[in-house]
Amino acid sequence: MTERSVPADAAPAVAAGRIIVDGRPVVFQAGDSVAMAILRGGEVPGRGGTLCLAGDCGNCLAEVDGTAYVRTCQTAARPGLRVERHPDGAMPELPVVAAMDLTATPLPATVEVHHVEVDVVVLGGGSSGRAAAAEAQRAGRSVLVLDAGAGEEIVAVYAGPLVVVRTLTGMLHVHAHEIVVATGAAEIHPVCPGNRLAGIVTARAAERLQAAGVDLGRIVSVGSPPAGVPVTSVDGRLVRFDGEGGRVRAVVTADTTGAETSMPADTVAVGLGLTPRDLLARMAGAVPVRVVGEAAADLPFPPVPTEGVVCGCMGTTVADLADAWDRGFTELELLKRASQACLGTCQGGACLPNVRSWIAARTGELPDPFTARPASRQITLAEAAADSYVDAFRRTPLHDEHLAAGARMDRFGGWWRPWHYGDTVAEYWAVREGVSIGDVSTLGKLVVSGPDVVELLERLYPCHVADIKPGRSRYALLLNERGHVMDDGMILRETETRFVLSFTSGGAANAEMWVRDWIDTWGLRVHVLDRTMSLAAINVTGPLARTLMTRAGLADPPRFLGHVHADVAGIPCHVMRLSFTGEAAFELHHPVDRSVELWRALLELGHDLGIQPHGLQALFGLRLEKGHVIVGMDTELDTTPRRLGMDWAVRMEKPRFIGRGSLERTAKLPDHRRWLGFTMPGPAPTEGSPIWSDGEVVGNVTGSWTSPLLGKALMLGWLRRTSFPDRVEIDGREAVVTPTPFYDPEGHRARA
Amino acid sequence: MRALERLRGLRVVADPVALDAARWHGDDVTVLRIAPDDAFAIGAEGVDVDDPDAIVESEAGFVGAWLPVSALLAHIEWPLPTDRPALAQGSVANVPAKLWLPAEDGDGLLLTAASYADDLTSRLR
Repeated sequence: MTERSVPADAAPAVAAGRIIVDGRPVVFQAGDSVAMAILRGGEVPGRGGTLCLAGDCGNCLAEVDGTAYVRTCQTAARPGLRVERHPDGAMPELPVVAAMDLTATPLPATVEVHHVEVDVVVLGGGSSGRAAAAEAQRAGRSVLVLDAGAGEEIVAVYAGPLVVVRTLTGMLHVHAHEIVVATGAAEIHPVCPGNRLAGIVTARAAERLQAAGVDLGRIVSVGSPPAGVPVTSVDGRLVRFDGEGGRVRAVVTADTTGAETSMPADTVAVGLGLTPRDLLARMAGAVPVRVVGEAAADLPFPPVPTEGVVCGCMGTTVADLADAWDRGFTELELLKRASQACLGTCQGGACLPNVRSWIAARTGELPDPFTARPASRQITLAEAAADSYVDAFRRTPLHDEHLAAGARMDRFGGWWRPWHYGDTVAEYWAVREGVSIGDVSTLGKLVVSGPDVVELLERLYPCHVADIKPGRSRYALLLNERGHVMDDGMILRETETRFVLSFTSGGAANAEMWVRDWIDTWGLRVHVLDRTMSLAAINVTGPLARTLMTRAGLADPPRFLGHVHADVAGIPCHVMRLSFTGEAAFELHHPVDRSVELWRALLELGHDLGIQPHGLQALFGLRLEKGHVIVGMDTELDTTPRRLGMDWAVRMEKPRFIGRGSLERTAKLPDHRRWLGFTMPGPAPTEGSPIWSDGEVVGNVTGSWTSPLLGKALMLGWLRRTSFPDRVEIDGREAVVTPTPFYDPEGHRARA
Repeated sequence: MRALERLRGLRVVADPVALDAARWHGDDVTVLRIAPDDAFAIGAEGVDVDDPDAIVESEAGFVGAWLPVSALLAHIEWPLPTDRPALAQGSVANVPAKLWLPAEDGDGLLLTAASYADDLTSRLR
């Protein structure tokens, strides 16, 4: 045992301010970390366990200014900073997400990201890092040294190479040609009974505390003593820490004969050796990095732990390791998952050497360390999301009109769309009995033109195209080579060599690529122009739609499936006579910069007709009554026309079209799936509800609607069994398989 | 940032050779070649293009603003072309966009579809 004397110049006692710890003010001094300030006040920053004060362990984690899991030893104290220590033996509570408006655009990220490009980035500002930086500078290369001690916490190393860093002012993304890992070595943490008591520090931590003038009381040292710190050193093997009230009171060691000695202590400084701090090197994976200094050193492993907590973050004991091992998890990656050791906030920084040593004792071989993955540090969602954006959702030119009309907007098919305007049923009745307008600007719109355009479309679509006359249109499915439904829409012929194709809102982008790819593949002379975002579209629908069109100046409206170019309310429109709602409908495609003008004119002209806009919710109900499919919502990836009951849309007498071969081959095979209609009394069940038969789930509902007109629940959905029952159970009620359309099966109203 | 304003002109899809030789009518026409067979001619009021199947449409679906290119660099993850003039196309702040870099040094014209205007504006603010 050796006594050391207290250096006379140990404590520069100049108060720099106060932080608030668990509601109480704590004085800190210039240069203090939060952990240092708390220790200076005679308390511990975490809830026990060996403190390294080097950012390697999770024993000083606390909530700092509202952010949990902050390493207080790496956080500079500043006046007014609020610290809440995590609950004893428990994870901090996750913040409760308040009622969020999921229909709103997420706020843009508020964490700044700075980008830096350098030749060499050195991770670590110690002696080996400084040496590597100097060497690179002598070679004329630009160098950036990142030092956790300066508040630069390296969060991740990615291909690129890209190093992501959390700094005091935000996130830093370093784009470098070479990465040098010079992160040094971490101190080995003791594993033995009592190692979760407060008052245990590593030797280096004791040195830092001494240098900062923190009073540690009576210090007893085990293993290599801290330099320049007055300690009582004890020899022998560390057996356990004894404590009282959660704080260490003595350390027990044993000599070679097993005789134990207990040494009273206020603080125990543990010097068990070093282990390479190589987490970032292991994170680099395929990214080439150069590891220098202690981070690359071949250092001796700690003694085999036999008892105590091995992973302080997760509370995993040596007994837990043994239990997992006995259950067959005898490989580091498996043992980690089964026991949770190394899965905590320090990512094995403190416990991995001990776990590897424990495995080596059982197998005779030291296992390789596991791969490290970002993030190396706890970061906030805002920090993780910094410099990234949510997908952009498009707005139609009528977006503000919808908002002004009280619409609840929602995202659908890559667009913001009005879900309803406050009263879906009223919107429904406006369509069924009067006149209504809907914003269908989101539909895909492609112009195709050229001498080979008919050949192209005959090959693309399973329906006939050549016999569509200019001014006429036809509904069409779009199939892939496997005969599966990709999309649907209209083919509208304008001239002998020019067509307009429409697609679903969500499928338009894929459809465009599909069309372009096949033009290239077949070498056809066809030009393509995507007008989806250049043209808006308003659907005027209802039994009074024709009246409104006449008022708007459309003297000679096209008949069903016809289309004309004409002015409507003084605005040039491509007027298409279609129907998705089951009522007469005119789809008005027009330039986006005239859309608000047209929308307002139609509302004005239809005011005395009781006109009102309808949202998607009403539209879905209207289409459901007609049994119209919505590709992507009702369909699956392998849906065929036959499964949809839409064989009529496929002309197998055509010699060639995409998907024909697959359809021909599968036509003779029994089909196990059908998309069918169902009805039952009462309110509609939730979309997605399972469909039951004889106690088994035999399908699911893809669309449901309580029909105001028919007074019952209507559903569309899949049945997946060879023997298709007539009656099924949905939502605990008996439902009847019912032919579609449920409404106006002859289609008289749409053609009116 | 400066507000994105609607850009009007002609959109022409035609045989690339015919498009190369197209004669544009209008004052101060800026032709952005979106693809070899696709041009957006800002300010154009008419075009003579030798392709009977050319698609010629009025175009009002884009918005844009002249901005210092340096203001966009933090939102672009791809290298800007070094040649001038050039039309760069890609994501700006994860919004599909185009950047017209004229022959003379100075600002560039940032364009996007009008349907993305609000998203792009809020992300560049």
